[in-house]
Amino acid sequence: MKTAAVLIIAIFAQAAGNVFLTRGMKSVATTAPADGGLMSVVSQSLHVALQAMQSPEIWAGTLLLIVFFALYSAALSWADLSFVLPATAFGYVLNVAAGHYFLNEEVTKARWIGSIIITLGVVFVSRSGERTTTTVEPAQASAAGDGQ
Amino acid sequence: MMTALMIALVVLGGSIGDVLITKGMKQVGEIATLNGRELLRIAGRALTNKWFLFGLFFMAVSFFSFLAVLSWADLSLVLPATSVSFVITTIGAKLILKEKISSVRWAGIVLVCIGVALISLP
Repeated sequence: MKTAAVLIIAIFAQAAGNVFLTRGMKSVATTAPADGGLMSVVSQSLHVALQAMQSPEIWAGTLLLIVFFALYSAALSWADLSFVLPATAFGYVLNVAAGHYFLNEEVTKARWIGSIIITLGVVFVSRSGERTTTTVEPAQASAAGDGQ
Repeated sequence: MMTALMIALVVLGGSIGDVLITKGMKQVGEIATLNGRELLRIAGRALTNKWFLFGLFFMAVSFFSFLAVLSWADLSLVLPATSVSFVITTIGAKLILKEKISSVRWAGIVLVCIGVALISLP
């Protein structure tokens, strides 16, 4: 139950983060100069980076992705990687939905089918138990000690 | 050839990173508190755990390889190809972290892998 709650919040944070980042970067990119040459590519990249740091949407997106990563790592402190990783793949489905509703992206037939297959896969994985390893690893006591 | 190598680096870097981060977090121990100060202490313990930091490093390698390969290859080739990392990471979890992958879990992971590849097609 704890795992489900943490992962659901993580996935929503990730999807929202991606929407904010995409919106932010799209508004930055359209205002950047675009022409050829290595120096202009470098200066354009710096220009985009500077503009990106002034965008509240990009800050919000970055923050949400950090929240995602913190929750993902937290879940890994008690659940299997082979459980958590495929479970978070449901985020792809949310990203397709969010892209459709908030960014007006079109949903192709392949994406619909992919979303259904992912959902099915996540249902399978969620029925396989979240932890198969023993609670205490032999190296834990000493490693946790010298980590302080 | 170069593209295949870079995609391998993206996939392997991500998988190794995930396995190491899991190893680190298992050493940090199960998080069973919502107390803010306690959570900060746990975050500090994770960020000073060598496996966790190695994991972050490999994740960064994977991410920058991803950006690099996108500078010459198509996203519609690279993104579906990286979906194989669900299977590679699971093999790593089985061999290194000793997780037991039941056939139901394998079936789910293969479905996720196929679905992600389909979703990332143009």
